Amino acid sequence: MLNLVQTEFLKLRRRKFVWLMLLAALLMPLVAIFYFGALSTIEIMPMQFYKWTALSYTPWIILPFVLGMLCTMLMYDENQNDMLKELWIIPVSKMGYFFSKFMIVLVYSLCFMLLTAVSSILAGVLPGMIVFTNDSVSFLLIKCLEVGVLTPFAMLPVLAVAASQKGYILPVCVTIVYTFLGFILLMVNMYIHPLSSTTAIIMRNIPGVVMEEPVHLGKAFLCIGIWGIASTIWARIALSKGK
Amino acid sequence: MRTLLWAERLKLKRSKILWIAVFSAIMVTFIVFMQGQFQYYGHRYIDKATWYMTATQSLGSLYVFPAIIALMGSYMICREDQDDTMKSLVLVPVSISNLIRAKLIITSIFSVVLYTFLFVVTLTVEAALHISLLDFGMVLGFAKIYLLEGICLFVAVSPVIAVVYGLKKGYWLALIFAEMYSFLGLFIGQSTMRFIYPITAAFCVAGYYETTTVQFVISLCSLLACGGLSLLLLHGLNRKRDIY
Repeated sequence: MLNLVQTEFLKLRRRKFVWLMLLAALLMPLVAIFYFGALSTIEIMPMQFYKWTALSYTPWIILPFVLGMLCTMLMYDENQNDMLKELWIIPVSKMGYFFSKFMIVLVYSLCFMLLTAVSSILAGVLPGMIVFTNDSVSFLLIKCLEVGVLTPFAMLPVLAVAASQKGYILPVCVTIVYTFLGFILLMVNMYIHPLSSTTAIIMRNIPGVVMEEPVHLGKAFLCIGIWGIASTIWARIALSKGK
Repeated sequence: MRTLLWAERLKLKRSKILWIAVFSAIMVTFIVFMQGQFQYYGHRYIDKATWYMTATQSLGSLYVFPAIIALMGSYMICREDQDDTMKSLVLVPVSISNLIRAKLIITSIFSVVLYTFLFVVTLTVEAALHISLLDFGMVLGFAKIYLLEGICLFVAVSPVIAVVYGLKKGYWLALIFAEMYSFLGLFIGQSTMRFIYPITAAFCVAGYYETTTVQFVISLCSLLACGGLSLLLLHGLNRKRDIY
């Protein structure tokens, strides 16, 4: 398994675009500079700033979208170039192959969120918009790690779709719809969609965020777990069929 | 040109992308319907007449459709290179400029058809929920907004299609660029820049945002600039290719 993960990382070196996608982590901190810059007369609390830069649209839309694209790219090349046959001949276990891809998504997600955290701190502190406080920075880092770990699990269905398809039109369209659905369902029922459940877990203890009812962690993890297991089974079947 | 348009239409019929776009549109209508179940001060959003048609148009145009339209356009253009069919087309001989023009025309028609489809679905749902509250003028107003949004959004994302064609790195790049581009519209839509930024300018021209005549003209100029920029980019790229 470790060999597979290492191979996947070595393959990533050839894909410059994957690294370029990390730049999306800077989007919300940059937007925040302009947004809060326009409110220069009001004192900005660090937590309020970080909530905007790292804990709102980034986990709701930007990170799921980027991870969906990454899942598609990771699966697409081997499918298109018919390299899977050679991998099965070695033999590489189908689940080992699937989880090695998942490990890449997990590590990438962590790097993305850490970059978001660092750029949020720099975007707030360097222009003098907020004060650097240990409490807020440690809270931000913990929350970013939470987002970084949970979101890849919520994206397992997209990875399974990418594994079951030869092209990338369907997986990328599924990514858009899946992300949009997760974002909208957040306001309706948090325990149906894995991305909404992830957001519920993250939002449970953010100061200033008022939820209609307390977050039920068990239900949220159950939702992510059920979708994750179902996706893994589906990926296993799809890979076994050789599609 | 008519032959090229005919050929492009036939090629699209073989492709799954049309069905995927239709699936995305249906999913958007479903997702917004789900959002309509959200209760605000004891009332569901969807209980308010025209909320569904307004929300589907705005949410879809900010989060989903720019990416789908850009993907469609760049897919049609880039697939000739990726499938290595461009050589055969040049041997026919087909003018690359005309070919790209035909593909752009088909993409613009696709964009309008997608929004027409969306309009029909949302109108059906709206009629099923509040038939007594709908009047002919209101329906015509929404039809105008949807159709104009379709064409304006195509113009707004056309530079993305042209850039992706120039980069030659794969058509899914258009999806990423267009998604970022439309996502920024979410924030710019709340500022005075909304009349200039092409994605939100499309909303202004379509009539979603209330505008003065000057603001309307600014939005229109912004979209025309987008269209002009893409034509210039495509013209430059086609000339470069024609040399070879």
